[in-house]
Amino acid sequence: MDILFLLIPLSVVLVLLIGAGFWWAANNGQFDDLDGPAHRILADDDRPH
Amino acid sequence: MTSDAGVRDPAHCFHCGEPNPPRSPWRTTIGAADAFFCCAGCVAVAQTIGAAGLSSFYALREHDSAQQRDGQSELVTEAACASTWIRLGDDGLSEVALLVDGMHCGACVWLLERFLQGQPGVRSASVNFATRRAQLRFSGSETGLRELLAAVARIGYRAFPYDPRRREALVRRESRSLLLRTSIALLAMMQVMMFAVPAYVSTDGVDPEYQALMNWASLILTLPVMLYSAAPFFVGAWRDLRMHRPGMDVPIALGIAAAFSASAYATVTRNGAVYFDSVTMFVALVLVARLVELRVRETAGDALESIAREMPRMAERLDCYPGGRVRDMVPAAELEPGAFVRIAAGASVPVDGVIVEGRSSVEEAVLTGESWPRAKAIGDAVMAGSVNRESPLIVRVTAAGASTTLAALSRLVERAANERPRIARLSDHAASVFVVALLAVAAISGAAWWTIDPSRALPVAFAVLVVSCPCALSLATPAALAAAAGAMGRRHVLCVRPDVLETLSRVTHVVLDKTGTLTTGDVHLTGITCHGTTDAEACKAIAGALEQGATHPIARALALQPRDLAAQDIVAVPGCGVEGVVDGVRYRLGRPDWAAAICALPASLDDVDGEGAETVVLLASDSGWIGSLRFGDTLRPSARSLVTSLRTMGLRVSLVSGDRESTVAQIAQAVGIDDQHAATKPDAKRAFVAALQARGAVVAMIGDGLNDAPGLARADVSIALGNAAALTQWTADAVMIGGDLARIAFAFRAARRTFRVIRENLGWALVYNLLAIPLAVSDHLSPLAAAVGMSVSSLVVVGNAWRLAGMNRIEPADAPPSMADAQWSSTVRYHAPSAAIT
Repeated sequence: MDILFLLIPLSVVLVLLIGAGFWWAANNGQFDDLDGPAHRILADDDRPH
Repeated sequence: MTSDAGVRDPAHCFHCGEPNPPRSPWRTTIGAADAFFCCAGCVAVAQTIGAAGLSSFYALREHDSAQQRDGQSELVTEAACASTWIRLGDDGLSEVALLVDGMHCGACVWLLERFLQGQPGVRSASVNFATRRAQLRFSGSETGLRELLAAVARIGYRAFPYDPRRREALVRRESRSLLLRTSIALLAMMQVMMFAVPAYVSTDGVDPEYQALMNWASLILTLPVMLYSAAPFFVGAWRDLRMHRPGMDVPIALGIAAAFSASAYATVTRNGAVYFDSVTMFVALVLVARLVELRVRETAGDALESIAREMPRMAERLDCYPGGRVRDMVPAAELEPGAFVRIAAGASVPVDGVIVEGRSSVEEAVLTGESWPRAKAIGDAVMAGSVNRESPLIVRVTAAGASTTLAALSRLVERAANERPRIARLSDHAASVFVVALLAVAAISGAAWWTIDPSRALPVAFAVLVVSCPCALSLATPAALAAAAGAMGRRHVLCVRPDVLETLSRVTHVVLDKTGTLTTGDVHLTGITCHGTTDAEACKAIAGALEQGATHPIARALALQPRDLAAQDIVAVPGCGVEGVVDGVRYRLGRPDWAAAICALPASLDDVDGEGAETVVLLASDSGWIGSLRFGDTLRPSARSLVTSLRTMGLRVSLVSGDRESTVAQIAQAVGIDDQHAATKPDAKRAFVAALQARGAVVAMIGDGLNDAPGLARADVSIALGNAAALTQWTADAVMIGGDLARIAFAFRAARRTFRVIRENLGWALVYNLLAIPLAVSDHLSPLAAAVGMSVSSLVVVGNAWRLAGMNRIEPADAPPSMADAQWSSTVRYHAPSAAIT
């Protein structure tokens, strides 16, 4: 059961990372427009980069 | 790129889809084949798109682009007041928000973004399809607003600088941060629960070593919940305490602070129980309830605000009109009365004014609730906020900025939104009394348990603080009121005073006016009987002169007659008629018995009786009767269904009118009212309402304004009908814009439902608290169970209030403004950013 000493802190770190990721996403406006991106992915530039 | 054969059709323009002129000279090569165009403009747009490498737009787009409307591109390029709209960012880049008109689909978003990013000086461009706004960051030294607007116009869209209103920014920040706080609390809650499970399920206790580890992990995960997610509760509690008005934040903040400190202490000293799971779950679920409440309020606020948002901010002023036609874009609010503005087809009218050139049809949905455009010609008035549909108009400004009708309307709505209804104030007061009592109970039971069993004192006090739920008072009542006001606002029933909903829900008796209420008020002259030597034309002329300047429906009908006479000494007697001197002869025009009193002749009124529902007005001079004028009026189509639905709600309905017995009787019969009172003067209407009230009735009066003012003022609640023009003079509590009487019945139903929901919530809260608090005091509730109980109770009441927002689905509002053809207005009526949280 000693593995718990690794797994439990790991889960805490994981949750904190997910929380930080979500924080970043919300503050970047990822949840502001839920319609546009769905259309945008279908469009492509016809000019080679 | 692929080419669409239908679009390549040489008979129709490749870009806009309009028919091409025969053997169109405008052509260019797109992809591999030639394409034909209707005009030089479309060729230029297509070439610009092609040169930017974006011609797959034509394959992606779902519809042909909207037809170019007259004069819009120069309108855009002349938008000169750049400094007002541009915000200088910290990094030295300029930022501007543009409202883009003409986006149909995702392809447009893609095209605009790519195209704008390719412009010199532009650092980033993001276009939001839902709100139809483009956010641009650019270097001010390399490009300017004018160039950017011109660039957008080159690819066929209309862009306007959009002033992000401060409130909108606030709402966005609020909903974003609430979403974030809730999600973080939910995330922490799930993990903390996992760490709590072993302690709950193990029969012989968890190994203290592992328990300490899990306690520490829970503590770390609860920290962000306490510091970030729960911050609004602490801020709110502090604010409440400073203002000596304890609200529901106080017990929440106290409870979680106490439980968290005790648990943290127990974790550090490795001695005692921890309640991290209860704390995180409590915070998470209460935040979910608040998120729901915010959604309810936002959808409501959106409907009311869309009215005020219709106003365009720029106007195209014509200098030295009618001599020259120099155009100049100026902020609409800065226009002076008397200036001339040009309103392009498809554009919103920026000012109140009178048409001096052109004819068109104008949609005044926002002001009158009437979605069909009305034909307007020279001399007709147009109001700010309406949409010019067909062809350009030149308008002389009569009011601009804050003095327009639209601005007055939005001020009224704003005022009503700012004043708190009695029920909301009562709820707040009750909630603070409740909270004070609750704190006392928690302290007493904590102290009592300290003497019985010190280890139970804290859990009991915590459970008492947490389990009690004043949210029916603090959260659900305001949410229910906002939802109802929003549903009514969408139907153009605007509550101007705060207590309208409450009074409407208690009404027992409805008093209806006839002219302008049950009937359209579009009175027209149906016939003239001459009693003397004066002929019909002269009768009309004299009557027209007497009524000039008056706003009564009959006066409006007479105003349509050619007018070459002038009257002096005009005295209007409300409810009777008008008296004045024309060509040296004193005349009276009005109710037959009153008008006949001017001459000695006996008033045998049968002579002037008209047919059925007609209104008869007698013109008499001191020498005798001149003529009787008959006016017809049309019954509103929804009048009968209004009376029927009011009846079904158990309301008594009366009809009072200043008109003759036979007229009123016929209308009453047509709509199904048996209690009718004819020939009632304004003061008598007031007395009638007062008499009903004396018998204990709660009276709602519905009238069209002027003639009913005393009655409207006397009634417990009054609804005035009509257009927005005369709004400000009315004494009514609520205003219905437009002529669909079914909305009045809806207002009654909405008010009743709202108060039923509020009562249900209060009943639930009473039962819940009466059961839960004794359980908590007697230590029969664990802190976790208390947290679950309270959160569920919050969700129940807020969810119940949310049902009110769903009233629109059950009874749809009028046909929604069609996005396809309401060009400018549809773009302004953007979705609230909150739509993203659902």
